Amino acid sequence: MMKLLKINILAAVLIGFVFSSCENDWLDREPPNILLDEQVWNDPKLITGVLSNYYDRLPQHTTITGGWPDFAAYDEAMWSGYSGNDWLNNLVTYDFGRWGLWDYGFIRDINLAIDKLQNVSELADDVKTQFISELRFIRAYVYFEHVKRMGGVPIITEQLIYDFSGDPTYLQFPRNTEEEVYDFVISEMEEIIPTIGNNGSQTRANKFTALAIVSRSALYAGSLAKYNGQMASPITLPGGEVGITPGSANAYFTKSLEASREIIQQGGYSLYNTNPDLGENFYEAIINKNGNPEVIWAQDFLSSADKRHGFTYDNIARPVREDNLGSSAITPSLNLVEDYEYLDGTSGELKTRTADDSDYIYYDNVEDIFANKDARLYGTVIYPGSTFRGQEVFMQAGVAVWNGSGYDLMESNGLGTSYDDGGVFTAAGGPHRSIQEVSNTGFYLRKYIDNAVGASTRGIRSEVWWVRIRLAEVYLNAAEAAYELGESTEALGYINILRERAGFGENSLSTIDIEKIRHERRVELAFEDHVVWDYKRWRVAHEKWSGITENPESMIYSLYPYRVIRPGSPNDGKYIFVKSVAPRFRAPRFFQLGNYYSLIGQNLIDANPKLVRNPFH
Amino acid sequence: MGLAAASCEYDNFEEPKSTLSGRIVYQGEPLGLRSQGVQLELWQHGYDLFQKIPVHVAQDGTFSAVLFDGDYKLTLLRGNGPWMDNTDSLDVQLRGSQMIDVEVEPYYTSTDPSYTVNGNTMTVDFTVNGIHTDRDLEFAGIYMGRTSLTDALRNEGAVMVAADDIALGTPMSVDVEIPSGLAGRSDIFVRVGVKTMGVQELLYSQVENVAL
Repeated sequence: MMKLLKINILAAVLIGFVFSSCENDWLDREPPNILLDEQVWNDPKLITGVLSNYYDRLPQHTTITGGWPDFAAYDEAMWSGYSGNDWLNNLVTYDFGRWGLWDYGFIRDINLAIDKLQNVSELADDVKTQFISELRFIRAYVYFEHVKRMGGVPIITEQLIYDFSGDPTYLQFPRNTEEEVYDFVISEMEEIIPTIGNNGSQTRANKFTALAIVSRSALYAGSLAKYNGQMASPITLPGGEVGITPGSANAYFTKSLEASREIIQQGGYSLYNTNPDLGENFYEAIINKNGNPEVIWAQDFLSSADKRHGFTYDNIARPVREDNLGSSAITPSLNLVEDYEYLDGTSGELKTRTADDSDYIYYDNVEDIFANKDARLYGTVIYPGSTFRGQEVFMQAGVAVWNGSGYDLMESNGLGTSYDDGGVFTAAGGPHRSIQEVSNTGFYLRKYIDNAVGASTRGIRSEVWWVRIRLAEVYLNAAEAAYELGESTEALGYINILRERAGFGENSLSTIDIEKIRHERRVELAFEDHVVWDYKRWRVAHEKWSGITENPESMIYSLYPYRVIRPGSPNDGKYIFVKSVAPRFRAPRFFQLGNYYSLIGQNLIDANPKLVRNPFH
Repeated sequence: MGLAAASCEYDNFEEPKSTLSGRIVYQGEPLGLRSQGVQLELWQHGYDLFQKIPVHVAQDGTFSAVLFDGDYKLTLLRGNGPWMDNTDSLDVQLRGSQMIDVEVEPYYTSTDPSYTVNGNTMTVDFTVNGIHTDRDLEFAGIYMGRTSLTDALRNEGAVMVAADDIALGTPMSVDVEIPSGLAGRSDIFVRVGVKTMGVQELLYSQVENVAL
């Protein structure tokens, strides 16, 4: 027995020797759970995975997944959802750190990827060049996101490695000027255009995506140069970290216009014009993912890959929600609704009172007051009596009871209640003064709300995509740049193309000015993350949002429909409308001069004393 | 047991006890401001990492902060208040409580305001002085409100006088209508503010309580 065991042990040891001599690199094996540089950077599939991660990490301010509650922090909308978020209606002022961005962790990752492709990868040169071009596109876009928030930031294009010498000063870079960062973004985009590939893709950058970013960023730089220079006291820093010389404006406008023209003429894109119902058509122009010819660049979602979002759950109109919770968070303001003109070209102000202000105007149906408006109103906003997913979204705040000399406006404490006469008191869809998760303004959001069955439930959620840039914006960029360069006829042409799709007919405008262009931009691109950046670059944010209650642009207004109870009168059963400051809205929007550029935190200045602070901070 | 109690003790820091209070003054007179509008910064040297202590100034130009004893530097934020930028910092050696005056150089001031009520109108006499006129005057504003926190943002009635109608250093008189929302009250709060071009905050006279 003993002997047998000894033999066994001997055999085991011998066998062990045999194996170990084969595995002479026993301690030098590939890890089963980590991908090595040589594996990643030599496999196009894995590189695409890296890129996908980077696209997903692009900075965002208000999109359908990132920072979406802030759609309710400006003048397009207010918050009507969960009452714990009512601070969005009560912002005393915008914080200096709002919009702050300093994502050098991401920039380092991109620089590292470029470095690995150049030095580690053994892929074919053209494959490598294409990936590097795409990474440079992402990097330039990230710098654009930085400069529009912070002004000039240090341009770092290779990874910085610490030598542990105890002296990190050689890694501390001062801020580049605002102008240099814009120039960097534009020149990077221009350089990669021949090699970026991805033709026809709407989610990965291609030539026309790069041109679209030039169209947008050069326009920003041009208007910053021009309108900052026109301020009574331009916002600048002595080193140019903030403030672009006004003389550069025309060069930037020209760059932007040329890029826009190339997209319009050669891009093969066209405005979405499929549905003869123009309102639905405008709604579909943004959410339709099947062969949409208008979308240039989008962030896509896919339920089967569990990449989906809850934007529809949070923001769907209360009466058509499918979940038992949520809904109605972002509700468009009357301010925005009235910006949509009537189709005869008159101002979009809603007519609630007779011309001499002696009486209300009576409407047979709640939706009649919105008749003959810009189709984009329907495509952006759900107004009372409008439909969603084939269902009517009826809204009525209460009843107006005739007392012999005037109306007593009465509202119910609940939703979906009936009045003594058996008719509706307060509709199931509100609006309501104080209840959460029902509209407080009298409007609901339509843009980006998914009409697929089940999309507003937490179980299914939505796979509607986020449109980063679409052809309509390029038209607007082109119009603005052309107008700034004195090419009014060209500008007018672009604006009329957009208005034609909205139902205005051909050549609806015969003259153009900058206010009309800005107005068109506001109604076309509402809820597409433009309003803050546009107001900033035009240097009007501190006037639009001046923090004064008397300034109507700083306030959020609501429109409440009431059913008339006046037996014996021809107006009995009709609807009247009352405009007022939205009840849950408390503090006027207040944008200070120190908000034009965001705060560079003291932690960053401690780490790098070469950084200078932004003006007013 | 002993250890547990000791660790409790160890966690309890003593709170700061010294109060630094002061006023923003020009020629010894405290300046009127917008509540929460202007911020001073306190910095303490001697540590690797800097972190400022923000000090907000009240509408009557006073401020206070409760601090640990130590040596601080008090600085004005550039472009934040209605006065000339001054990059010099003020050394504050805080040992127990202390009062300081922070002297600034305003662009424009409004002085000697007086208010005479006559029915629904109020006659406001005041003088706008140019102290440092390298920035232009934008307007003078008369602000009426219900509370002592009356300024360009919080008011129930405001009347602006454009810079073109103002002669610097000369007493002027403006008749303003008392808004209907205030007319029924027994008293209102009034002050005069001057706005310098390109500076967000106004410089005000001290709020006065005027009987109607």
